[in-house]
Amino acid sequence: MDMEHLERNLSKSDSFAYIPLEYEREKASNSYLMSVVALIAALPLPIINLIATLVFYFSNRKSTYFVRWHCTQALLSQLSLLPVNSIGFWWTVSIILSSETITSNYIAYLITLIILNVVEFIATIYSAIQTRKGYHIHWWFYGDLTNLICKA
Amino acid sequence: MIKILLQLTLMVVLFLACWLGLRQINWVKIFHIEEIKTSTEERLGEIFWEMFSSGEYVLKDSTVVDPIDSIITHVCEHNSINKSKIRLHIIRNGEINAFTLPDNHLVVYTGLIKACDNETQLTGVICHEFAHMEKHHIMRRLRNEIGLSVLTSITSGGHGGQATRKALKVLTSTAYDRKMEIEADLTAVDFLIRSEIDPEAYANLMLKLSDNSSNLPDQVYWVSTHPDSKERAKKITDYIKGKEIIKSRILNEETWIKLKEHIEN
Repeated sequence: MDMEHLERNLSKSDSFAYIPLEYEREKASNSYLMSVVALIAALPLPIINLIATLVFYFSNRKSTYFVRWHCTQALLSQLSLLPVNSIGFWWTVSIILSSETITSNYIAYLITLIILNVVEFIATIYSAIQTRKGYHIHWWFYGDLTNLICKA
Repeated sequence: MIKILLQLTLMVVLFLACWLGLRQINWVKIFHIEEIKTSTEERLGEIFWEMFSSGEYVLKDSTVVDPIDSIITHVCEHNSINKSKIRLHIIRNGEINAFTLPDNHLVVYTGLIKACDNETQLTGVICHEFAHMEKHHIMRRLRNEIGLSVLTSITSGGHGGQATRKALKVLTSTAYDRKMEIEADLTAVDFLIRSEIDPEAYANLMLKLSDNSSNLPDQVYWVSTHPDSKERAKKITDYIKGKEIIKSRILNEETWIKLKEHIEN
């Protein structure tokens, strides 16, 4: 039973350099959960997610490769969301506070933004769960970028 | 590296394609945005007018209402403004004041009519209030000063009388911000010019009332709530320089005199 379990773990962690320990899996999983902090706190500001992920990244800069890798991937995904979310946020504020009106262009942008954020949210939650189990989740584009930035 | 750049490009293209594709749909029609905005303003106008008029004496005498209505009709016809949407209310009150409420309620106090030397000055004030309506200053101001959530709760009846009274006080007794007031003044001048009414009379009214305000602080309300009247009068005078102005009348002398006499009595 133990051998089977070890073999299964080895095959699932093939894409990563080593098998992460329990505390590493927990920390790596938390890096993804940081990015949903703002949602949990019901805050509309797009920068809160990024700040939370950034703080977690800096606090784990000297941690193990598995933790650093996933912190970097989580941070990069938040960084890319920031400009698009910020545009949506300030566009909404300008509609509320100035003479800007709600147009089909604005609504189309909001829908696109929502789709993007929902996809990112699902990917984040999935990654948090899988990373906690010790699986290495390599996102399209972000994973390759993280490989470039984060070295063992 | 090239692979990453290609992936990044593809992501951006996908995002833009999604946005541009969705833009082709008329979301404003699907979500009935215009209807919602109109019905919110209508509801607010109804609530505010009901609250305001309950404590005031509304004049329905045709000797007073008809001349003002003629002025409004003339201005609307010459400026392609839909006259049927304007709801005129003349209030018997010595204060020199006029203001607009949501849903195009125009309130004019008899004190203002009394203070005007001629119909041209009164037309100027009416055009100023029209400008606030046409530029949608009223709802913008309410959103800025009262807040969207409070406005929504007023329309749904959730906030009670206090918030409504506060909002009403804002609309009836304070000026819009400086930028909106200047915009309203210059738009009013355009309305007056198109109506073939002398806009200088409007500037003169402001100067007259600001000169008198030190002696009659309680009565010259419209000016005291619209600061920098001298500066605004100067802006109007500068704006009309070089413009071709046709000076005509809307009401004949007899009608104006009858109106003033009726107000005085």
